[in-house]
Amino acid sequence: MFLRRTIPIFIVGFFGAFTLFGWFIENESIKAFINDDATQWYDIIASFAIFLGALNLLKLQSLKVLKRQSGWQYSLIAILSFLYVFVIGFFMRGAFFVEISSIPSNPDPMINLVNETTALELNSSYFVDVNNENPFRIEVPFYTDSSADDFVAQLASLGVNSAVVPTPWGAHIQTSGGLFKWMFDNIFTPLSATMFALLAFFVASASYRAFKARNFEATLLLLAGIIIMIGRVPVGSLISSWFVMYLTVLGVGVVLSGLVRDRRIIFGWVLFGLLFVTILGMQMGWPIDKPTMFFLPALQEWIYMVPNVAGARAIMIGIGLGIIITSLRYIFGLEKSYIGDQ
Amino acid sequence: MNKQTLQNQLVLIGIVLLTLLISRFEFFNSERSFMFAILLLIIYILFQEVSNVKKNPDSIFLRTIPGLKAVEEAVGRSTEMGRPILYVPGIMDMNEVETVAGVIILGHVANMTAQYETSLDVPVSRSIVMQAAREACKESYLRQGRPELFNDDMVHYVTDEQFAYAAGVNGIMQRSKPAACMYMGKFYAESLLFAETGNGIGAIQIAGTASQAQIPFFVTACDYTLMGEEYFAASAYLSEKPELIGGVKAQDTFKIFLIFLIGLGFLARMLFDLDILSFNLVELIG
Amino acid sequence: MEKLENIILKLGSIDRRIIFLIIGLAVLIPLLRPVDLPIRPGPSSQQVYDAIDSIPDNSKVLISFDYGPSTRPEIHPMTLGVMRQLLDQNRGHKIYVTCLWPDGLYMAKDALKTINKEYTLEKYEDYVLLGFRPGYEAVIKGLENNLRAVYTVDADLTSIDDIPMMEGINSLEDFDFIFSGSAGYPGSLEWVLYGPTTVPLSSGTTSIQVNEVLPYVQSGQLKGILAGMPGAAEYEALVGKKGIATSGMAAQSYGHIVIILFIILGNLAYFIKERRERKY
Repeated sequence: MFLRRTIPIFIVGFFGAFTLFGWFIENESIKAFINDDATQWYDIIASFAIFLGALNLLKLQSLKVLKRQSGWQYSLIAILSFLYVFVIGFFMRGAFFVEISSIPSNPDPMINLVNETTALELNSSYFVDVNNENPFRIEVPFYTDSSADDFVAQLASLGVNSAVVPTPWGAHIQTSGGLFKWMFDNIFTPLSATMFALLAFFVASASYRAFKARNFEATLLLLAGIIIMIGRVPVGSLISSWFVMYLTVLGVGVVLSGLVRDRRIIFGWVLFGLLFVTILGMQMGWPIDKPTMFFLPALQEWIYMVPNVAGARAIMIGIGLGIIITSLRYIFGLEKSYIGDQ
Repeated sequence: MNKQTLQNQLVLIGIVLLTLLISRFEFFNSERSFMFAILLLIIYILFQEVSNVKKNPDSIFLRTIPGLKAVEEAVGRSTEMGRPILYVPGIMDMNEVETVAGVIILGHVANMTAQYETSLDVPVSRSIVMQAAREACKESYLRQGRPELFNDDMVHYVTDEQFAYAAGVNGIMQRSKPAACMYMGKFYAESLLFAETGNGIGAIQIAGTASQAQIPFFVTACDYTLMGEEYFAASAYLSEKPELIGGVKAQDTFKIFLIFLIGLGFLARMLFDLDILSFNLVELIG
Repeated sequence: MEKLENIILKLGSIDRRIIFLIIGLAVLIPLLRPVDLPIRPGPSSQQVYDAIDSIPDNSKVLISFDYGPSTRPEIHPMTLGVMRQLLDQNRGHKIYVTCLWPDGLYMAKDALKTINKEYTLEKYEDYVLLGFRPGYEAVIKGLENNLRAVYTVDADLTSIDDIPMMEGINSLEDFDFIFSGSAGYPGSLEWVLYGPTTVPLSSGTTSIQVNEVLPYVQSGQLKGILAGMPGAAEYEALVGKKGIATSGMAAQSYGHIVIILFIILGNLAYFIKERRERKY
């Protein structure tokens, strides 16, 4: 109990209180601990903890493959992908450059070979000042040192002095043209972008399902949503504010028809409204963006900046308070459920 | 004037005096004096409310939070249908308060699944969360006297990468078709991916997050959503422990104080801008 | 009339896969057959442009790439636009690039490659790529205290002390402007919370994140914001160089219109259904 309960609670309390009250203290060591060391300790722990997760992942996926459970083929792909990235990240540089230090008097065969092998479009002007102190580096790396060596041998047969320059470990994962970067650009990036792009479809289906004018608040949400969606994109600035004014008059007429029985009042309102807008428009010359309050981009901006930010602030304050009280509960040991002590 | 009010006033005076005293020392960052006083006030309010609730547990009324009431209903539904419960504790690590709160709620959910013998699937995005969530589930199953139903692989790691995790969890949803999906923690853009996929498989969905930008997506697509403070109050609500309920009361008490401060600040600033007052409250706050 | 109502009712409960298909076409067609739509810069984007415009000559500008490939279409045009605005002005600005996301390093390299084709920059004279450091907001705090402790070498493993541009740069306070292209955590919020208060800060974020960041724009802690792809397109219009954000606006416009049409259809079906149920 002492090891599993008391010590963890003490550690949380001590470091929590230390970090919290340390913010008020003007001491370089304390500030350095709070600003740098504490987070770095956490990063180091999390980095080592990744092994636990990775091993768990491999174990579960391997069991699925071995037992031929439903979807085992996906598990096989997961394991192979994991191993692929692990190997090219840790064990293969994947980026070997070739530097040319001297060229023969007739460089054309060499240039043709380089262009054919690397798909570059070099010419003799690139090799004018090539010498031992100023070698020319072919900016397309080879994935393996053996392929780079082969290329160097081919160049040597043409009378070219060249050498293989491996990319340093660490830099190899970010080297353009290297194996890891190739994987990042051609596999990881499209997959990530695809998953993010799914949001467009899901937003459409969620909006279609959820934006129903069931009551006043839902109607308000619906209208605000439509105004923001139209006003935010260029199409919104093509819609004249006068069109919106006419729509507003008609909309108010529809609402009135549910509240007032006398049709003459409704007809009168609609007629008056339409006439008023028409006369006003003729007076003002029908500018597309005036009156501003009916111009969708301006209306959208107002909704964004005023009621939206007000609501956002209120929620942020509430969330902030929640975080403060919850954190204090952990620090002072009032809540211990995170270590399983309910 | 009753004893409590007198005590409160004395403590307030004490906080102000302590702050003034401590700000004279060189080691103290006097620019942050106001925040220091506020912090002490919050701590006092917290302990005061906890003590009040412990003395008189029935004095506090916690309004019904439909999302939390629905947790047991969701577990029951899964048991009847013989399908698992999917619990997603967010995509961030244990350094986020929301994730810790999510793990705590998982403990309560695991209590119910142990009781009803429903299978629980918890895919996680971080290794440390995996360990913490396992501990929470294990303790719950032990407490319910059903340790044999607990399996380490109930809580399993998927990946750290946001959209890869979303793809993995969506795949789990599509294949195992859980009857209930619970999303409790810190989320980013993948929230709608989870919620819509869950909606597509016909699961009952309960979400809880303090990620402000994701609340609208959860509200739209889930059956129940715990928003912001409700989410942090969840552990108090589910456990019904006085020290936790006192925390919720403290939160509300301090919120009233903040509303008062905002009103005061608004008034003071307006009077300052109108040249009626020469004192600038905003400068004092810093 | 009843026939029409029945059609609307049917359309009001279509399979979501049909919705996905129509949305897909609405977004794909304008990308394949580009449509030129007028872009009207909003106040937030204008504020960012003006803030960068108003920095003194020979300023040191830090650009933080805090996004990855999934949000690249939204944020990449913003960071490119900022670099173009700085370089177009020919006022001797220097660009320093940092990354709080590991993927941000690749985004930064791609952006610098693109900019290099347009402006022929001299490495370590016009720009320096400091690279990625793990630690989330601790990196910002570390940069504020002592930049040279966080970055001893740049992304190409060259010692910071050997880079002429890095002379006199010891902390974030030594920069004249900071811009964060942010897609989540860590990003704009962390720069506001932990960054220097004396250096003007601006940001470009995904549309989802804008809500969280707007209060800081209103309080002046952020000098404007580029809000999602529309913000990026507005900024491209201000800088005067159209890019993928502008070309994406037609797709976004059509997508929004289709969503609104579906919403209207859904509501019509809902009202008809309600009315019929009330009758019976």
